[in-house]
Amino acid sequence: MRLETELEIDTTPAPQSVVVRRRWQAHLLTFLMVFGPGLIVMEADNDAGAVSTYMQAGGQYGLHLLWVLVVLLPICYFVQEMVARLGIATGKGHAAMIYERFGKWWGRFSLTDLLAVNFLTLITEFAAISLALSALGISPYISVPVSALGLTMMVVTGSYLRWERIVIGLCLMDLTWFVLAYLTHPDWSAVTRATILPGMPAGGITSSLVFLVIAIVGTTIAPWQLFFQQSCVAEKRLRFSDLKWARLDTLMGAIFTVLVAGAMMLVGNYGFQHGIRFQDPAQLALALGPVAGRFVRNGGLLLMVNAAVLGTTAISLSSAWAYGEVQGWEHSLHKKLWEAPGFYATYIACVAAAAGIVLIPHVPLQLVIISVQVFAGLILPSAIIFLQLLLNDRELLGERWANRPWNNYINWTIIAVLFALSLLLAAQVMLPKLFPS
Amino acid sequence: MATAEITPEMNHFHVIHPLDDVAEQKCSSEGLGKIAMTRPVRVSLGVLRAYLIVMTLMLGYHVLDLAGVLRSIH
Repeated sequence: MRLETELEIDTTPAPQSVVVRRRWQAHLLTFLMVFGPGLIVMEADNDAGAVSTYMQAGGQYGLHLLWVLVVLLPICYFVQEMVARLGIATGKGHAAMIYERFGKWWGRFSLTDLLAVNFLTLITEFAAISLALSALGISPYISVPVSALGLTMMVVTGSYLRWERIVIGLCLMDLTWFVLAYLTHPDWSAVTRATILPGMPAGGITSSLVFLVIAIVGTTIAPWQLFFQQSCVAEKRLRFSDLKWARLDTLMGAIFTVLVAGAMMLVGNYGFQHGIRFQDPAQLALALGPVAGRFVRNGGLLLMVNAAVLGTTAISLSSAWAYGEVQGWEHSLHKKLWEAPGFYATYIACVAAAAGIVLIPHVPLQLVIISVQVFAGLILPSAIIFLQLLLNDRELLGERWANRPWNNYINWTIIAVLFALSLLLAAQVMLPKLFPS
Repeated sequence: MATAEITPEMNHFHVIHPLDDVAEQKCSSEGLGKIAMTRPVRVSLGVLRAYLIVMTLMLGYHVLDLAGVLRSIH
């Protein structure tokens, strides 16, 4: 391990270093160099499914569920901070760590479940691309293959940084959600009240409200995020001293994501105020056109495509990284296509197969969505349990990187809540008559 | 290491990108084998197994329900 004290007395300039005069400049530059994985993992989670869920929440319940996002903010941060810490401490991905420390059975279970839920989610992402671009007059037979090709081209350049910069650019395009929310002229004092003070919609607790709240939790904290960020941190070779910046990156990502999710709810709320009924965000965007203008209509549709593209690249990469590291293959975006064929083949296979399935006429998308919820319900508690146990593995991490007692208190509480919600969600999906409507 | 590296005479800071820096010695699981089966680990894995069994049973019930097997029994 290189210690900071050793570096501070080393007067030899390191290769390829950037020289700055002020300490704050050094800190800012370091942060910008470390910045990326935290923002990407959080914002990519605002994928097509999330857009649908948040807009549905706004469309059905107006501003009443905004406070749920505020509750979810610290949960997102604490879970992903553990992931970043584990990635920096071990330099390895989550799947590899589960295999090494819990054996092949748990390793295979986690990996199989991850690959299954990821693949099903990818189908929903391509379905969203097809839906949104069809609404803009582009045939799915053009939009889906072109998107799949673009998503492949993004990763095969042999440069992690190039991929990261493109994806950060896509994340920042989500700033447009704030413009759309502003254009819907919400009552800002009501928005502030609903954000700070938890409230119940008229009608009280119904089965659809419970389902939507669980769906919001489920869509904000997804299993692939754990695998993705740890692999991403390892890929970027973040160092021990980078942890504080990785934490800041994760916190900023969490705040940005929750704000964007709030903006999506505000757009949905506009539909609620105008009595617009909709099944998916594309329908809402089309219906908003005549009342809110073309910018809102087209912006909503294009942002839905952006969300699906972000989700697809991150989810496919989490699958490819996890599968590659378990197989012992080269699994790095730093490698050229021919240097890591198994890794890239996994990514391309995920993207191509999901895109291909969406183009099959009358594919049962409802079954796919239910399967995603069931698999996610299975994998999230298990993945998060392994994460928590690994962060308490003092034999592996030592005292420096392992969880402190207060970490454990918070994290076990989060895990208990997620277990209960996952069970409730699965029960509701699998046994629809269990709760009164 | 991207932390500010101080060169005393010139009062400069050298900032290095993580990808350009010398690799660190990370916490390695080599030679450690599987995680020690302490009480919290045993309990956690036990709860996880129970959770998976419950989920599998619910899934089985749902599949039988969808297939119409349960209705024919009733």
